[in-house]
Amino acid sequence: MRIQFETLGGFAYFPGLHRPLRIDTEQLTTLQAGEIESMVRASHFFDQSDSIRPVGAADYRSYRITVEDGEKSHTVKVVESAADRSLLALLAYLRALGAEGPTQ
Amino acid sequence: MSPEQHHRHSIFCILPPHLLEAIMKNGSDAQRAMAEQTLRRAAAMRTARAAVQAEQRAAPPAAAMGAPHKQRAVFDASHTENIPGARVRAEGQGPTGDAAVDEAYDGLGATFDLYWDTCRRNSVDGAGMELDATVHYGTDYDNAYWNGERMIFGDGDGRLFNRFTIAVDVIGHELTHGVTGHTANLDYNGQSGALNESVSDVFGSMVKQYAATPRQDAVHADWLIGAGLLRPGVKGVALRSMKAPGTAYDDPVLGKDPQPAHMKDYVTTTSDDGGVHINSGIPNKAFTNLAISLGGYSWEKAGQIWYRTLTDTRLAAASQFMDFARVTVLNALQLYGNEGKRSVTEAWSQVGINVP
Repeated sequence: MRIQFETLGGFAYFPGLHRPLRIDTEQLTTLQAGEIESMVRASHFFDQSDSIRPVGAADYRSYRITVEDGEKSHTVKVVESAADRSLLALLAYLRALGAEGPTQ
Repeated sequence: MSPEQHHRHSIFCILPPHLLEAIMKNGSDAQRAMAEQTLRRAAAMRTARAAVQAEQRAAPPAAAMGAPHKQRAVFDASHTENIPGARVRAEGQGPTGDAAVDEAYDGLGATFDLYWDTCRRNSVDGAGMELDATVHYGTDYDNAYWNGERMIFGDGDGRLFNRFTIAVDVIGHELTHGVTGHTANLDYNGQSGALNESVSDVFGSMVKQYAATPRQDAVHADWLIGAGLLRPGVKGVALRSMKAPGTAYDDPVLGKDPQPAHMKDYVTTTSDDGGVHINSGIPNKAFTNLAISLGGYSWEKAGQIWYRTLTDTRLAAASQFMDFARVTVLNALQLYGNEGKRSVTEAWSQVGINVP
């Protein structure tokens, strides 16, 4: 399974923090790969649709996530405050991986 | 846990209209009823919001003309993402000793004071609306945002960012998104979105200058947004510089400040809602040019022109930079005659926007 994850928006735009993060579960430990695949399934990712833009809100963060699994590929743009809990768990996991990224 | 902590605003709970319409077409009886009810509620909300905005822009509410109504409340999310969290400081209560709580409370007050003292605006909605903030949101949360009804502040990750309440201009910035939502309601995308962001920086910066002891004039102000937010070791002084867009930071992790200061460097992008935090550098620079050229305190003349423009019914939600500039020129002429018009026209011209 391959995942591309990109942070959009926020109070300021920092080019270094908005680089897309690409994850290939084959490159992760078995434990990490299993956790991600389990969270993708739990979130019913391939049935998710884009979040609507929050009315009157500003500076909120959103994420563009693409998951490729075999022949299936799906992209959603979600606003963090609007996402359901299972998708939030996946977002948190991906964010943690993203936070590790720039220091590597 | 209080019911408040489970609350999530309805704007986040409604499904996209196209999905609701599909449910109405293909769903079960119960699903169709739910979808119809939701669509009806959304339409009613839109109508009510439009009516309130039209009324507010046409004539200030009666409360705006009466006594100011400063009513603040700060909530603590306790490092969860549950909004609003527990109420920890209400209007009139003393400091709590929690820096984020007390900075938010003071920043709400400073923003209220700028709007009331200099523009006679009675809170965000012009009618004494309670000013609410939630602090300690999330874990290592590197952001502050306006969710349509309240401010949300993270504590930062402690590695790149400090807590987001540390800069009073950030608080003024977020509340001004609320003011814009109740007035021009500038679309949060592309140039209108960059204007939305810029207006928040303009008023956020004026809040900082007005709250300073002694008050800062336009020439001596630093015009930085988010000074103090970056942790030691990060190469930068702030998140943005209104006076010198593009120079706030240049760091191996954050990258280089991408803000342009002139239309010739305008950034066309699909990121960041079409560059709302990037191209806001251009109108930011125009405002700073004007305030410095006029001298004195920024809220005395430049701020009055911008406030008049924000509340001007000629300013459409989809306004582009040129549209906004035109209305500032009209308001400058009305407020300060030909000299004011010349100053504003020149300030825009310096960033590559030539108002005919």
